[in-house]
Amino acid sequence: MRYLNEHFVPYDDNTQPTWRVSGYKETLTRTPNEALLTRPKTLSERVGPVRIEEKLMPACVDFEHTQTQAQGQRIYLRGRVLDSDGSPVRGAVLEIWQANASGRYRHAMDATNPNPLDPHFDGAFRLCTDARGEFALRTIKPGGYPVPQHPERWWRPPHIHFSVFGDGFASRLVTQMYFPGEPLNAQDRILHSVPDAQARARLIAQPMPMQAVPQTDHLGFCWDVVIRGAQQTPIEQTDTHATNHRTNSETNSETNGGTPQWR
Amino acid sequence: MALRDHPIAAQSEVPTASATVGPFFPAHFIGATDHDLTRRHPQGAQAQGNMIYVTGRVFEAARVPRWNTIIEMCQADAQGIYAHPADPRHAQADPHFMGWGRCATDQTGAFSFLTVMPSGYVDPLTQAKRAPHLELSVSGSGLMRRLRTTLFFADLVDNTHDPVWTVVPPARRDALLLRSVAPIAQVPCWSIDLVLQGESETPFFVD
Repeated sequence: MRYLNEHFVPYDDNTQPTWRVSGYKETLTRTPNEALLTRPKTLSERVGPVRIEEKLMPACVDFEHTQTQAQGQRIYLRGRVLDSDGSPVRGAVLEIWQANASGRYRHAMDATNPNPLDPHFDGAFRLCTDARGEFALRTIKPGGYPVPQHPERWWRPPHIHFSVFGDGFASRLVTQMYFPGEPLNAQDRILHSVPDAQARARLIAQPMPMQAVPQTDHLGFCWDVVIRGAQQTPIEQTDTHATNHRTNSETNSETNGGTPQWR
Repeated sequence: MALRDHPIAAQSEVPTASATVGPFFPAHFIGATDHDLTRRHPQGAQAQGNMIYVTGRVFEAARVPRWNTIIEMCQADAQGIYAHPADPRHAQADPHFMGWGRCATDQTGAFSFLTVMPSGYVDPLTQAKRAPHLELSVSGSGLMRRLRTTLFFADLVDNTHDPVWTVVPPARRDALLLRSVAPIAQVPCWSIDLVLQGESETPFFVD
C-alpha cells in the first residue's frame, strides 16, 4: 500500500487557480489578505479519514433512478482517479454535482433562477472508484448559465463539479470538469483562473468514440482526475494487499491488454 | 479506504487544478450525522474519550457572517492516534472514532461539531511533540482553493512547543485558539471565530 509521506510538495500556483478572480466578486472578500504560512509535515498533515465510504455511502444516491426520465442530452462519462505518481486510486469516493439541462441547480441558492427544475433530475451523484481506479456515470449534459448580477455579463460554460476523497486529507480535491468544443470555455473566468494552459486543457473532457459508449443513446466523454501523489516508493506489506503487487511492466501489459478501445 | 496501486503511467502528472465548490454543493450530501466525529455510523458505538462540542462562526471581509461555507475537520482520537496506516500506532486507534466530519455554516455563519478531546502525540518522523489540535479546511463560493488551518485549545496544555504553533507569528497565534464557552447539554464546548479576511484574520497554511 502507498500513502502520502513527508515528501509531498505544495501545489504549484501555476497549475492551480489564482485566489482572486476578476469578475468573480466573492473571491475578493473571502480570500485572506495575509500570506499562507508554511508548516512542517507531521503525522497530522499526512493522514486523513479511513473507510470514509462507510460514512459517505455511494448507495445513498441512486443515479439510475434519477436519470431515466431526465430532460436533456444524455451523456456517459467515464474516467479514472490517478495520483500524481501515475497510480490508479481504487476505492476513492467521488461526489459529483451539476446543473440540469436548463442550467439550474436543485439548490436553495439557485431559487431565483428563472429556468425550470427538472422533476426527474437531481444532479447529485456519489460514486466509488473500482479496482482499476475507474468510475462511470450516466447523466445529462448540464446547461450553461449567466453569472448573476455581474455587469460584465459572463456565463459559466457547461461543467460538472467533482469532489474527491483520496487516502489522505492532503489529497482532497474539489474541481470542475468542462466539455470539449464549448464556445463559452474561452471566456470562463473560473477555467481561465488557472495560469498554465496545459493544466486548463486537462480540465476539459475528451470525446469518446461513439462505438465505445455502452448506450447507443448517450454521447460519451472521458476524463481523468489526478490527486496529489504519495511521493514515495511502495511499502511492501505482508497482508492481503501483497497479492496485488506487480512490477510496472506486468501492470502495464495487463492494463494495455484490457484497455477499452476508446483509450 | 482509498488505496493507491503501483504506478501505471509512464510519467507523473501534476495534480488536477482545484476549483471553487461554488454555492450549489448539494445540501443532502451533508448527512445528518456528518458533523459527529464520535461515531462511524448513526447507530454505532461511540468513541472513547471526553466528548466536546467544537463550534464557531465564519466571517468574510468587514466581519460579514459567511453562510453556506463548508468546513471539514480531522483529528486524532482521545489517545492521540490516527486510524490511518501512516500512523505506526494505527492498530491501537479507537475503532469507533470517525475522526472526520463536515458541516455547512448556517445563516449566521455558525458551525458545530461533536467530537472527543484529542490527545497530543509525539510525531514518529520528527519526534516533535504535537499539542492537542484539530485540522480544518474551509471551502465554498468565492474560495478557488480550500483554506487549511490548525486549531489549538486555550489554557488546556502548553502549546508553545508544538511545531505548527511555533511557525505562526506570535501576534497571530490567538486567532488559532479555541476557547472554552458555556456547555451545550452539559457537554463542554470550545469555540472560535474563523475570519477569512480582515482584522484578526485566521492564519491559514500552504496546502
